[in-house]
Amino acid sequence: MARSWRRSRSRAAAALALALLAGTVASAHRRDEYLQASRIAIGPDRVGIELDLTPGISVADRILADIDADRSGSIGDEEAQLYVSRVAGALSVDVDGAPLAVHVTGSAFPAVEAMRNGEGTIRIAMTAPMPALAGGVHRLHYRNTHRQELSAYLANALVPDSDRVAIGSQDRDVEQRDLVVEYRLRGETVFAVSLWPALAAGLALAGLAVVCRRSINLLA
Amino acid sequence: MRNLFLALLALLGLTFGPARHETQQRGTPGAASEATTRIVAAARGVLTSLDDAGRAKVQFAFDDAAQRTRWSNLPTGIFPRQGLRLGDLTAAQRAAVMTLLEAALSANGYRKVNEIMRGDEMLRTTGGRPGGGAPPRGGPPGGGRGGGPTFGTDEYYLAFLGTPSPTTPWMLQFGGHHLAINLTLAGTQASMTPSLPAAQPATYMFEGKEIRPLGRENDTAFALINALDASQRSQAILNSRVADLVLGPGQDGKTIQPEGIRASALSSAQQTMLLDIVREWAGIVNDAFAAPRMAEIRANLTQTYFAWSGPTTNGSAAYFRVQGPTLVIEYAPQGSVDHIHTIYRDPTNDYGAKLASK
Repeated sequence: MARSWRRSRSRAAAALALALLAGTVASAHRRDEYLQASRIAIGPDRVGIELDLTPGISVADRILADIDADRSGSIGDEEAQLYVSRVAGALSVDVDGAPLAVHVTGSAFPAVEAMRNGEGTIRIAMTAPMPALAGGVHRLHYRNTHRQELSAYLANALVPDSDRVAIGSQDRDVEQRDLVVEYRLRGETVFAVSLWPALAAGLALAGLAVVCRRSINLLA
Repeated sequence: MRNLFLALLALLGLTFGPARHETQQRGTPGAASEATTRIVAAARGVLTSLDDAGRAKVQFAFDDAAQRTRWSNLPTGIFPRQGLRLGDLTAAQRAAVMTLLEAALSANGYRKVNEIMRGDEMLRTTGGRPGGGAPPRGGPPGGGRGGGPTFGTDEYYLAFLGTPSPTTPWMLQFGGHHLAINLTLAGTQASMTPSLPAAQPATYMFEGKEIRPLGRENDTAFALINALDASQRSQAILNSRVADLVLGPGQDGKTIQPEGIRASALSSAQQTMLLDIVREWAGIVNDAFAAPRMAEIRANLTQTYFAWSGPTTNGSAAYFRVQGPTLVIEYAPQGSVDHIHTIYRDPTNDYGAKLASK
């Protein structure tokens, strides 16, 4: 997995270089794109994902057609839920190659008119529980393939809330569909780490006290 | 002997000359106190110029969280504002608002705000095209209210959160399409984050002159990226396309992991260039408050990062970000060089959080 990612990353870097030379990045315009911005919050026991989806004015009708299945001109609760499920289904998250189950925890849809004007943002919050991980370096791979043919992506790791997690690096493909975050997970807690030496020292002192007491008794 | 005396005088002049003296004065509590006094007087001047209905419109509670975050890059119609709409004011009231902005901002900041608003007026009348044409979709010709997007200098709003005061915290909020100024004042201290200076068109002609509201932001950044050597560039340039602001409107309280080249890996001259970029945002506010803010950013410079995405030839559309412990600046062309969004934040002090809690 890691090797294939490195390979794809090399290809991506080359593609970006070509794109920059050709000036295609500059010629693209967000009005023609479906902006999908992901922010990834890595914690010791879960990954939080915030995904904001903003269709540009030129593609808004296509996205609305995807959502508004009954063509009523409005977005019903069931239609919203179906769409959110479809988006979540296009995401994948794994840690050290082990896939995580992504659960939707909330979503909000803008007014249809705002979306038609290319300025409405759909917000989806998700979470993925982590398996128990040993302390050390881990790699989280996030991938978003929803509506690849017309989307622009942003994917960023947030500064972790927990001081047990420290982000090392972030690697992406050119389009930011893929994000690999290398991070270091520290042990359970500082207290837990220091508990064993403290216990060992305590036991040693207690043992020493017993030996000393016996020695004193013998001398007496 | 006389020459030696003159040389000593010249040296003293260089050391304690007007420019340095001015900079020091601007950063002192005395200068800040003077600035606060002038800003509060100008704010009271606005209130005095209004009738009761106008005062009710402009005034919000300091802890009104909804109003505090009611700002956006979007035009009104799509993103409704509340407060005092410039288009509803008399000429005298409007002049009072502009006098307030002039007092609250530096000369460069005031110029920038005016040019952003004038650019939006151009967008309203020409659709952003030099030769004219239809306004952007959804915008009725000449702008309208209550429907789609509305553009132009009438569509900017002023609000006060809290009562303008020289001692207790209050907030001046001014903005509309492509502009949000959130200035929290607390006695001699101020915070102007989050703020959003943006521009469309990013270049236009006015009275025979070429106007670039965010031209220096663009040019100073291209100057720095082109001053880096190959190894530095490889650290600064991200290998992915960045299509928009990451921490734009609605992203309060979030801090992304910094990326790019760390300023500690820059030469002294390059660090100065980085500060030149930062000053374009930190220096929007009145000089008396910009000076301590720049000093704070300078103190954290070695922990500050510069990241770039896109071509490095000036005139191209490229994204950049400057991020430090108390700073986030993003500059994001919206697919072309003629439509720019930027954001300026202090993750530790947005909306003057540190000042208000004192």
